[in-house]
Amino acid sequence: MIDVKDLVLIYSNGTKAVDNITFDVEEGDFFGFLGPNGAGKSTTIKVLTTLLKKTSGTVKVAGFDLDAEAKEIRKVIGVQSQETAIDGDLTGKENLILQGHFQQLSGKILEDRVNELLKLINLENFADKKVRNYSGGMKKRLDLATTLVHKPKLIFLDEPTTGLDPQSRSAIWAYLEKLNKKEKTTIFLTTQYMEEADRLCKKLAIIDTGKIVATGTPTDLKKQLGVDSIKITLKNCEKDKKQAIELLKSLTGVSEITESGDCVTAFATNAHQLIADIVRALDSLEISLAGISYSSPTLDDVYLRKTGKRIRPEELVKTPSRSFGGRRR
Amino acid sequence: MTLLNDTGYLFVRYMKKLIRNPILLFFSLVQPIIFLVLFTQLFERFANVPGFPAESYLIFATPGILLQNAFGSALQSGNSIVSDIDSGYLQKMLVTPVSRYAILLGRLTSDAFRVLIQSTIIMVLAFLLGARPVTGLLGVLLMLLTIAFFGLAWSGISLAIGLKTKSSETVFAFGSFLTFPLLFMSTSLTPLEFMPDWIKTVSMFNPISYTVDAVRVLMINGFVWETILSAYFVIGFVALITLGSTLYLFRKVVS
Repeated sequence: MIDVKDLVLIYSNGTKAVDNITFDVEEGDFFGFLGPNGAGKSTTIKVLTTLLKKTSGTVKVAGFDLDAEAKEIRKVIGVQSQETAIDGDLTGKENLILQGHFQQLSGKILEDRVNELLKLINLENFADKKVRNYSGGMKKRLDLATTLVHKPKLIFLDEPTTGLDPQSRSAIWAYLEKLNKKEKTTIFLTTQYMEEADRLCKKLAIIDTGKIVATGTPTDLKKQLGVDSIKITLKNCEKDKKQAIELLKSLTGVSEITESGDCVTAFATNAHQLIADIVRALDSLEISLAGISYSSPTLDDVYLRKTGKRIRPEELVKTPSRSFGGRRR
Repeated sequence: MTLLNDTGYLFVRYMKKLIRNPILLFFSLVQPIIFLVLFTQLFERFANVPGFPAESYLIFATPGILLQNAFGSALQSGNSIVSDIDSGYLQKMLVTPVSRYAILLGRLTSDAFRVLIQSTIIMVLAFLLGARPVTGLLGVLLMLLTIAFFGLAWSGISLAIGLKTKSSETVFAFGSFLTFPLLFMSTSLTPLEFMPDWIKTVSMFNPISYTVDAVRVLMINGFVWETILSAYFVIGFVALITLGSTLYLFRKVVS
């Protein structure tokens, strides 16, 4: 669906925003671009959606060549930019209809589609109200709906939930999952939220200062880091510790054992399978267990490993997103 | 065909925005109305000076006030493109197959239409105050058409500045900076013969003078085609330059 080879974009002021990236997105994928502000996520979207001319590289979107067939691309993609770009003087319904006109739809087909979308995003009761009076979450939902009027095969979402309250965020997540699963829409999404990437994306690319530093499924990426950690707490730690460590050593998959605050921590690649074995073995040795838990590495750990930095989205949420109509006169 | 359809859709969008913000339309009319009611009263006796080309100052100044409004209004039209750039709406349009030229044409036609509405209101008010155009309804229609064409030509400058600077402050400042000097140094409010020599010279190179003269002959003399056609020639020339540069800058933005 998207084929990018050696893409470079240098702005006229000399900034290399995208530095030789290569990746591909298959039909039906839910693909995520994860990275902090200024990493090159939005720039990449602008290039892929025909808004910015690339400096070099080859790009195919939905089977069309970016240079020669930009017009064809625009007919089959939907794009939601970071700014919520809807017209505050128009009603929700009018916004959707106008967007449909831009996509060369009209008449009953458009009318039906618009009603369907309004229902889908739960804005039926506000359809004829001016968008100016909508809440932030409603605007974002409407903005998303406007990108879907023409049933695009492929949609680009540039940080669709940045700055939203948790409730609106999970509403959008649920809707995107449905769109990807039921309507087989290919989705390309950028985000600076680990949990968003983790929950939604089937495939991820981590991007930092214009370069892709890692790609894979969220699970693969975390596996690359290696290991899960299993925390074992014993009722009588001092007495049984030695025996427990000996036992853990004998299990396949365990790569490292340390004595930790809780008692013992084991590192293993297949923690979820090992847990039962550990419990059974300890039981047979009559060592009583006070607690056992395991945790997988998070994408944040992956990001830290790959870039040497941690993403802290809470810092970035504050970035003022231009409110709609702020500069109107 | 797409171009026409898309222009139509965008024209309707801008019209809805205009109608739903009646306050803006109202305030834009305050200044011309003050001129029409107060300024013409203040200068009423001007008409008694020997050699004054009209029977009342009101009927003489109405064309000037109409043009002043059209000029000021046209010079603010770049604001809307800046607000579409700021809000991301322009980008949103550009990722769809919508006709590129329709984005510009929708803007221009709706600006011209807005000037048409404002001018009609001013014209009705002038009529109520006693200004009776000698050419009748047909003349009034031609006057309105001329003013709309004039507005269209000048909104090109404002759009070009908006596209170039992407700043509504600059558009606004440029508009206010240009309006009064150009108006005072034209035949809008004073007959050419009454002016000091240097302003007379400037006025003869001022495109606004030509348009005012054309609207004025329709108001007080009749269908003097020579004056009317030279106005159209001058407006056409201005349009060529302003819309040409707008088109050039617009293509840079959308490419």
